[in-house]
Amino acid sequence: MRPYFEKMPPLGRELKKGEIKRTEDNVQAMKDAEAEVAKAVEAVHNAGFPTEKINARGEMTVWQRLEYLVDPGTWCPLHTLFNPLENEEGTTNVIDGLGKIGGKWAVIIGFDNKVMAGAWLPGQSENILRVTDLAKRLNIPLVWLVNCSGAKLPEQEKFYANRRGAGTPFYRHAELEQMGIPVLAGIYGTNPAGGGYQGISPTVLFAHKNCNIAVGGAGIVSGMAPKGGFDTEMAENLIEKSRQFKAKPPGSVKTHYDVTGFFRYMFETEEGVLDGLKEYMAQMPSYHPEFFRVAKPEPPAYPPEDVYRLLPMEPKKVYEFDQILARLVDGSQHMEFRPDYGPEVYTGLCKVDGYLVGCIGNRQGYLGKGYPEYADYPGIGGKLYRQGLIKMNDFVILCGRDRIPVIWFQDTSGIDVGDTAEKAELLGLGQSLIYSIQQTDVPMMLVVLRKGSAAAHYVMGGPTANRHNAFTLGTVASEIYVMHGETAAVATYARRLVKEKDAGKPLEPVIEKMNQLAREYHDKSRPLFCARTGMLDEIVPVAALRQYMVAFAGAAYQHPKSICPQHHLILPRIIKG
Amino acid sequence: MAEKILAPLAGKIAAVKIKAGDKVEEDDDALVIEAMKMETEVFVPCDGTVKEVLVKVGDKVEEDDVLAVIE
Repeated sequence: MRPYFEKMPPLGRELKKGEIKRTEDNVQAMKDAEAEVAKAVEAVHNAGFPTEKINARGEMTVWQRLEYLVDPGTWCPLHTLFNPLENEEGTTNVIDGLGKIGGKWAVIIGFDNKVMAGAWLPGQSENILRVTDLAKRLNIPLVWLVNCSGAKLPEQEKFYANRRGAGTPFYRHAELEQMGIPVLAGIYGTNPAGGGYQGISPTVLFAHKNCNIAVGGAGIVSGMAPKGGFDTEMAENLIEKSRQFKAKPPGSVKTHYDVTGFFRYMFETEEGVLDGLKEYMAQMPSYHPEFFRVAKPEPPAYPPEDVYRLLPMEPKKVYEFDQILARLVDGSQHMEFRPDYGPEVYTGLCKVDGYLVGCIGNRQGYLGKGYPEYADYPGIGGKLYRQGLIKMNDFVILCGRDRIPVIWFQDTSGIDVGDTAEKAELLGLGQSLIYSIQQTDVPMMLVVLRKGSAAAHYVMGGPTANRHNAFTLGTVASEIYVMHGETAAVATYARRLVKEKDAGKPLEPVIEKMNQLAREYHDKSRPLFCARTGMLDEIVPVAALRQYMVAFAGAAYQHPKSICPQHHLILPRIIKG
Repeated sequence: MAEKILAPLAGKIAAVKIKAGDKVEEDDDALVIEAMKMETEVFVPCDGTVKEVLVKVGDKVEEDDVLAVIE
């Protein structure tokens, strides 16, 4: 199949002088917005104690551990701003992402030991479950940096129990292990109760000499018999017991390395633990990249920085999606699937780091006379019509058949509506796409370039409506909502306006409510809101999008559960004809 | 030689960024047409001088209508 992929047809073109001139403002607006996101990310980095204070105790911070552990240039952080329950600490207290360790891709997660010594906080279990899902979806190891002091007790009701609570990751670890996905854990510090299970539930435990894991920590061992209240005598007694347990906490390496052997390895230094993880990761099952690569990796022919000019921050402006894709894929080459059908979406095969991926994205702008063919009104890109929905169904089915991971790019205002659209079967075709995606069982990633709206956000590989979305990225131009705020205001208040008008009442109070609803929609669809609530797994500078695509493709092809031999691929042959 | 700027789609003129007598370069902004809630920018097709602009903001245009002439 080498002739198919070594040199594929070219995609995109160089920017023209005029394009460069007129997009200066957009570049500035985008970089300003990215600086604002970077500020929010920096606040998460600086949460809790300063690094110097942790280092003075002889410990590394989670950030220092990650830097030592992860192969340079491969770290792709995820969920950095995720804080769905608005913790005052500004974080769920776990840091995670995709990165290579010892040359192999892994999902990596660690407790932030600068914040309450890595305690459980509200929203953290949801963060961890996203991470275990990611390891499951990509079929790659999960690597933990455990350093968890237990629960933030005054807020336990927000995360301890329920179907998706702080204990859920423990059985998710078991689930990963049952699927043959190893969970490796470097263990530091004091890890009582929840922290203890966080430490014991992985597959292989790499302990630092000063760490401990225990069913219960010093805090509860010294006060486990409630007596209906507290008095001075009890307080004195507690002080004595606490001193004793602080000096000798339960579950230290003396117990769990020397006696139980739960800790398979014990290391004198913090770096030693990380070296141990690196060594193990290098031995994890994986295919050599050459097994799946279809061509030599090469950078795009055009600079990824061009995307600052090509993706308008202004949501109403049209642009050329193909030009953006050309800045993200190897050699700016592709094989487009059905270019003469469904012009509102791009579907095609591209290479990322030498691996074959299926790319799907909304095209923008006027779609030409006579389209959509079933209607007497014109079509515009961003909307989905009958042909586009059929084409995407067709394409993902074939990607599933050929075991090709899919990268979606959304900038969609929704599926065409109205009785004409209903007669054209769009409701059924949208749901068919959800069915088709679900049936593929190949990993997918999504980039919400600008708008993710209405059912189209679901059907185009959105994280809400399938199990295969590994992660969803946003840009500073992203906005996600069920519909535009003004559309929602009309849907909510149109009949009320009629009633008030017929009753001879003033319209202004209703108009004020409409404006308020539209403003709220705007505020609750911004990228930072989407990242905090988890609608986006990370907001990524547009120049870094390719780095995440490389991580996704490398991880997806590292150890896939099923294989299509290259010479059995049917999709490239269908494209070639 | 004169070159016409044609409307690429039907819609309403949302902005006019050139006027008669302007020296323009290929790919400069010329006009913006609003249709179906989206703004489509129309660019100058060649280097030259704007001979005339035949529309103003708010005008409704049909696909292929002449919007301006460059010479």
